[in-house]
Amino acid sequence: MTQPAPLLGRRLVIVTGKGGTGKTSVAAALALGAAERGRRVLVAAVDPDARLRQLLGGSPAPLAYEPHRVRDGLWVSHIEPFAALGEYLGLQLGSRRVVDPVLRQKAFRQFLLATPGWRELITLGKVWHLEQMLESGRPRFDLIVVDAPATGHGLTFLDVPRVVASAVRAGPLHAHTEAVEELIEDPERTLLLPVALAEELPVRETAELVERVRENLAVALDRVVINAVHAPPYPADLDDLDTRLAALDDATPLGELPPPRALATCGATLHARARLNGRYVKELGSTTGLPTPTLPYVQEGLSGPEGLARLADALLAAEGSA
Amino acid sequence: MNLPALEKRVVVCVGTGGVGKTTVAAAIALDAARSGRRAAVVTIDPARRLADALGVDALGNRPEALSKERLAALGVPESGSLSALMLDMKSTFDDLVTRFAEDPAARQRVLDNPIYRHVSDALAGSSEYAAMEKVYELAQSADFDTLVVDTPPSQHALDFLDAPERMIEFLDSRLVQLFIHPAMAAGRAGFRFFQWGARRALALIERVTGVGFLQDLSEFLMAFEHMSEGFRERAREVPALLLGPESAFVLVTSPETESVKQAHRFLERLEAKQVPVAGIVANRVRLWPGAAPGAEPEVPQSSEARPGDLAALASALAEASGPDYPAERAARAAVDAAARYAAVVQRDARALGVFRERSAFLRIVPELAGDVHDLEGLLLVAEALKQDSTAKRQDGGSEVDGDAQRGDKERESASA
Repeated sequence: MTQPAPLLGRRLVIVTGKGGTGKTSVAAALALGAAERGRRVLVAAVDPDARLRQLLGGSPAPLAYEPHRVRDGLWVSHIEPFAALGEYLGLQLGSRRVVDPVLRQKAFRQFLLATPGWRELITLGKVWHLEQMLESGRPRFDLIVVDAPATGHGLTFLDVPRVVASAVRAGPLHAHTEAVEELIEDPERTLLLPVALAEELPVRETAELVERVRENLAVALDRVVINAVHAPPYPADLDDLDTRLAALDDATPLGELPPPRALATCGATLHARARLNGRYVKELGSTTGLPTPTLPYVQEGLSGPEGLARLADALLAAEGSA
Repeated sequence: MNLPALEKRVVVCVGTGGVGKTTVAAAIALDAARSGRRAAVVTIDPARRLADALGVDALGNRPEALSKERLAALGVPESGSLSALMLDMKSTFDDLVTRFAEDPAARQRVLDNPIYRHVSDALAGSSEYAAMEKVYELAQSADFDTLVVDTPPSQHALDFLDAPERMIEFLDSRLVQLFIHPAMAAGRAGFRFFQWGARRALALIERVTGVGFLQDLSEFLMAFEHMSEGFRERAREVPALLLGPESAFVLVTSPETESVKQAHRFLERLEAKQVPVAGIVANRVRLWPGAAPGAEPEVPQSSEARPGDLAALASALAEASGPDYPAERAARAAVDAAARYAAVVQRDARALGVFRERSAFLRIVPELAGDVHDLEGLLLVAEALKQDSTAKRQDGGSEVDGDAQRGDKERESASA
């Protein structure tokens, strides 16, 4: 297995994963780590999840469409499809005077709500727009981290430009869609970063995701991040401590400590979880043939930048000091 | 004590992704089978080995029954049965088109339309719609007493309830009507009444998409329109079934704080819609050995434990393992691991505290040593669903380890 290219060399990292895998935390950790390493980073979220801003140290307010600075070098933005559509159509027609009344129409909104694909397309279009933005002659953002929808939808999401480019055969939309597709498919600029848990269902789904990406999509994919991996309960040389504890007389007086068998059960339970995690980390590596960097399970839960910084360090450990 | 849900004809398991909804749905179906009912579980995306265990691997869109012998070994009586079906969205949709199409030509027009081919699995709420459609179809047949549905993981997990109506709203929307009846819209009679706003919207779409796309879309919608009577009927009947007295919802959550928060919001939304919620299942909850669910154990880190207690543990270990064993370090490691586990148990208990006032409906499924991937594992989950999490608290207190607990469960299930 070759060492993948640095995460921080990309312009666009699209973080995806099944619900509950900690996709948003990983996206936030990557952004935080990159900002701490001097990059100007934008987290573009598909959901207006207030938790994201809180994780990054801001107030727990819902995200806004316009990039909002949460700390030095770090912005967050919610790519709200209707706002993005208004912006796009306004740019196309040279003015929002015609666009805004139409977008306010109930009928048009209803139609859009039920129409497949456009949300994904306009979201990716906005990401492309952000990637192209310049400020004093250099890109406004060095790195854009997209907190993408959960896996199933995540793939549809990336496939939409291709589908639309083939369904809409001419016109400005066709050309714009092709530019978006080009960005997604450029391995120098864009990386798809799936997040998995070391458990059966997420591992299987991630393996399927990798397979489907390889078959159907031209987006670069060079590693799978495995989140929340449990460490074994004891130092390696004390590995069998739980069985030794279980063999003690359970009536041994230990004062305020739990009795030996309860101590043993705690160890055994943590062992079982760590072993299961280890097995699935290996399995995902071998079925996908990809490196599977792991992130530690953060015991106290993730509620702010401190816990996140630990994940960021683990995530970017291999990047060196570049 | 059973969850009241198990007496219902349709049990809908809802919850966010990754909480073990499929496992809980399968366990409820197994439990129904064990009480002599003919049960079927409709799943969306089961874990591979659970799918193997249920026999739904690579199955077509039809329920497949587990063998009588395997079920008998799990305590399912002669009258009970368990079938499983893995939903195939695309073929459910194709079936629907086939059923509602006026004639073979109309059917083929829809199936061949490039837009239908691209969108039938991306269509707004289509997976939710397909799941509900399948359940409705099975509920109409006399083959099953109990249907347990594992709903698609969805950010907006109530989408499936609104899915049929959203489909109808879409077909009825003025813009779609304009595609379908362009002649009428442009004709003299319609023109005056027609909302010129919609025409402006159309013009806008055309500016960016070009004309060809609108033609394909128009053909697609026209073909679909012919079937809309069928859809309309379904849009009324599906919610009537799911929200009616024959159905019950079971909310599945993990004990992780974020998942509990979402489950709680979800519960409020269900109740606001007056959807009958028959139970809350907290899946994979970490429990303290020998204590009742909800207990919050206090175990100090080794650095804060009383030196005498640590010494007592170290000397017991040294006595059992000989003088070469690093007993003192081991005692600290044992206590630190227990403190680590106690913190997790505590966090789970506190996170689930918000459901305590609804504890009559709360069922705790303890975290099992491995993943649930066979029928025996499913049986353990089914047994946990029968435990009343509040009743257990009174008789708790005697210290038993995990193995002994499991032994009790096995005895219970053997005698049931």
